[in-house]
Amino acid sequence: MRFEERVVPTIKIGDCLLVPIQIDLDDRTVEQLQAQLLAEIQEKRVRAIILDVRMVDVIDSYISYTLSETAAMARLMGCQAVICGIQPAVALTLAQMGIELRNLMVARDLEHALALV
Amino acid sequence: MEGERDKRGLMDIQEEDFDVVVRISREDDIAIARQMAKQLAQEAGFSLADVTKIATAVSELARNIYRYAQTGVIMIRKQYQETNNPTVQVVAVDRGPGIEDLDLALRRGYTTHERSLGIGLSGVKRLMDSFEIASKVGVGTTVVVEKRRRKF
Ligand SMILES: Nc1ncnc2c1ncn2[C@@H]1O[C@H](COP(=O)(O)OP(=O)(O)OP(=O)(O)O)[C@@H](O)[C@H]1O
Ligand SMILES: [Mg+2]
Repeated sequence: MRFEERVVPTIKIGDCLLVPIQIDLDDRTVEQLQAQLLAEIQEKRVRAIILDVRMVDVIDSYISYTLSETAAMARLMGCQAVICGIQPAVALTLAQMGIELRNLMVARDLEHALALV
Repeated sequence: MEGERDKRGLMDIQEEDFDVVVRISREDDIAIARQMAKQLAQEAGFSLADVTKIATAVSELARNIYRYAQTGVIMIRKQYQETNNPTVQVVAVDRGPGIEDLDLALRRGYTTHERSLGIGLSGVKRLMDSFEIASKVGVGTTVVVEKRRRKF
């Protein structure tokens, strides 16, 4: 994947791909992110992707759906997906809406995420 | 629409009475509406948790407009009924296809859209203090939601 096609810069740590999301996840961005991650999983042969959402202040139903779908796709490619750093206010909102973030493993922080995979 | 109150309510809504009016016609407008909501709720002194809930609710309503009606408008205002206890009111209006069965649309998990959880409207209802919806097939949909600032 060409650098300019990436919406989020990623970092490879061992055989994991760290994805620090530091932009507002509008619908197009979240779809581009999904395509980018699937391409990077194939290219870099990583065992897991770690989505760090510390900087994300809104996760709504569509973003949740797309992240869960990405995790399901990753799994079909033999790759695990972990989400970490969900802000307390975002966790509260997700819980109140009853959103489960299916297919994603959840970690407290990066260290915890790396220990999970 | 549902009953006289809603009929009147729908006609009473004037854009100029709102602090923020965001026209929804492109996908980017969803993120803009949610940013505006966040800013307004912050200015009104809402807690971070409530700012996030309001922004998330606006995101859902704006996306529904974009998806099902293509265009519409999100209007947001601060209201001060009692001193120091403001309410944020969000009104989402479109002249889209309307919703045939409101009970069904409000049911968790019900969706007519692919790649969806079908929890937008039911989620908004849970996140906000009040929720009203009026819709008529072929005419459009109006959703009015409010959240009071909590006293700490
Ligand atoms: N503004 C609208 N105009 C017409 N139909 C609507 C509108 N908003 C919602 N609907 C209908 O109500 C259904 C439920 O809406 P809701 O927002 O709860 O879920 P969704 O949009 O299908 O999925 P999600 O919001 O979880 O991504 C929609 O699938 C659609 O059929
Ligand atoms: Mg929706």
